[in-house]
Amino acid sequence: MSKQLHDNICEEQLFSSIFNKYSKDLHNFLYYKFGELLNPKDKVQEAFIKLWQNCAKVTPDKAKSFVFTIANNLMLNEVAHQKVVLKHQQTKPKAYTNENPEFLMQESEYNDKLQKALSNLTEAQRVAFMMNRIEGKRFKEIAELLGISTKAVEKRIYGALKKLREDIKEL
Amino acid sequence: MNREDLISKWLDNNLNPQELEAFKKLEDYDDLIRLNNGLQNFKPEYNTKIELNNLMSSIKKEQRTQQSWFKPFLKIAALLAICFSIYYYTTTIDTTVTTQLAQKTEVSLPDTSSVSLNAKSYLVYNKKSWHNNRTVTLKGEAFFKVAKGSSFNVVTDTGKVTVYGTEFNVIQRHNYFEVICYEGLVGVTYNSQETKLKPGDSFLILDGKIIAKEKETRQSPSWLNNESEFKSIPFKQVIKEFERQYDVAITLKDIDSTKLFTGKFTHNDIDIALKSIAVPLNLMYLKDNKSIVLKRE
Repeated sequence: MSKQLHDNICEEQLFSSIFNKYSKDLHNFLYYKFGELLNPKDKVQEAFIKLWQNCAKVTPDKAKSFVFTIANNLMLNEVAHQKVVLKHQQTKPKAYTNENPEFLMQESEYNDKLQKALSNLTEAQRVAFMMNRIEGKRFKEIAELLGISTKAVEKRIYGALKKLREDIKEL
Repeated sequence: MNREDLISKWLDNNLNPQELEAFKKLEDYDDLIRLNNGLQNFKPEYNTKIELNNLMSSIKKEQRTQQSWFKPFLKIAALLAICFSIYYYTTTIDTTVTTQLAQKTEVSLPDTSSVSLNAKSYLVYNKKSWHNNRTVTLKGEAFFKVAKGSSFNVVTDTGKVTVYGTEFNVIQRHNYFEVICYEGLVGVTYNSQETKLKPGDSFLILDGKIIAKEKETRQSPSWLNNESEFKSIPFKQVIKEFERQYDVAITLKDIDSTKLFTGKFTHNDIDIALKSIAVPLNLMYLKDNKSIVLKRE
């Protein structure tokens, strides 16, 4: 019995549950891929508004790829509009600390290097790697989300790690 | 197990305890942990609940803006509909001309035909359909000068008069219907029977009976010259015409109102007019403002 319960998502409750299920992954995906300067949150909102407007045409199992494609295209449009340096937001280090100043300086230098190294990765490598490291997602989950094989995910992540370490050493 | 496999398994969070020990002994363990910790600073901030609320409110706002586009459109449409119907109503409505007691008026019809309305009369015609249908409705008395053209109809409660470019007078009062033709040819339909009138002919119905009359010799009805002329007309019709012309009330005392009267009275001077209807019948009159009493001498 794999028949679908709903053939569209115009019901508000169903729509909300789809939002809860995919919006965070979508946002993080855009964030890893394009950085935070291009407002990934806005793109998520726009993509879901489009989904709502077309709710009669989109079945629940198509909803994920619908919003991912829309949001990605929105981003690409904006990238074409303005060339922006890739930047990821950094959470502020704790205000109080018992580390010595030299260590703090080293830390902040290391972070700057890491930021640069991250922006040197390819988009595919960066997305897979950051999903894995920051959210702790398993290879299989990432593969599902990106629609590629587990082996490819492993390759991307391993490649990204290798390149990062080389870059950091060089800088 | 070699180094690469260990790192790969670590990346997949898939190390078992022995492998973890082996991983910790790797020379680049510290380096990897440092990198891993550094990456945690790039954690994205995203609160699904807040974003969902934002989304829902912007979706609702969008729906509202769609409505607010639709509503003014409806208002404009309604306004246009009202304007159009008022325009349509005022241009197709019948034109009505009414004269009060002691009042006469002249009306020009759209095709230069003209109508003179005697006192206490009522004329209705339609400007819009005039060229297809020359029809007027009449109550009271009127003299028509009709421009040449298609048939011209005068509809009254008693009968219908059809003409083709002519001059004629129509009287339709209570129990009294008279058509006099002065020029051209006039057809009178009474009780679905048509009578043709040549110039000078007249058609008279008194109390439902057709009365024969002698030839009319005048060129236009006497009332156009501010006189009312009667030939063998019952006295009560004369009194009614007098009341209409002077806006007075006349009371008859011991007088046979069916007696036929021949004569005329002017519309300009009430005393002379009273004398001209009273003297021939040997009557006395008492005048008190707007009421007049007639009685035998």
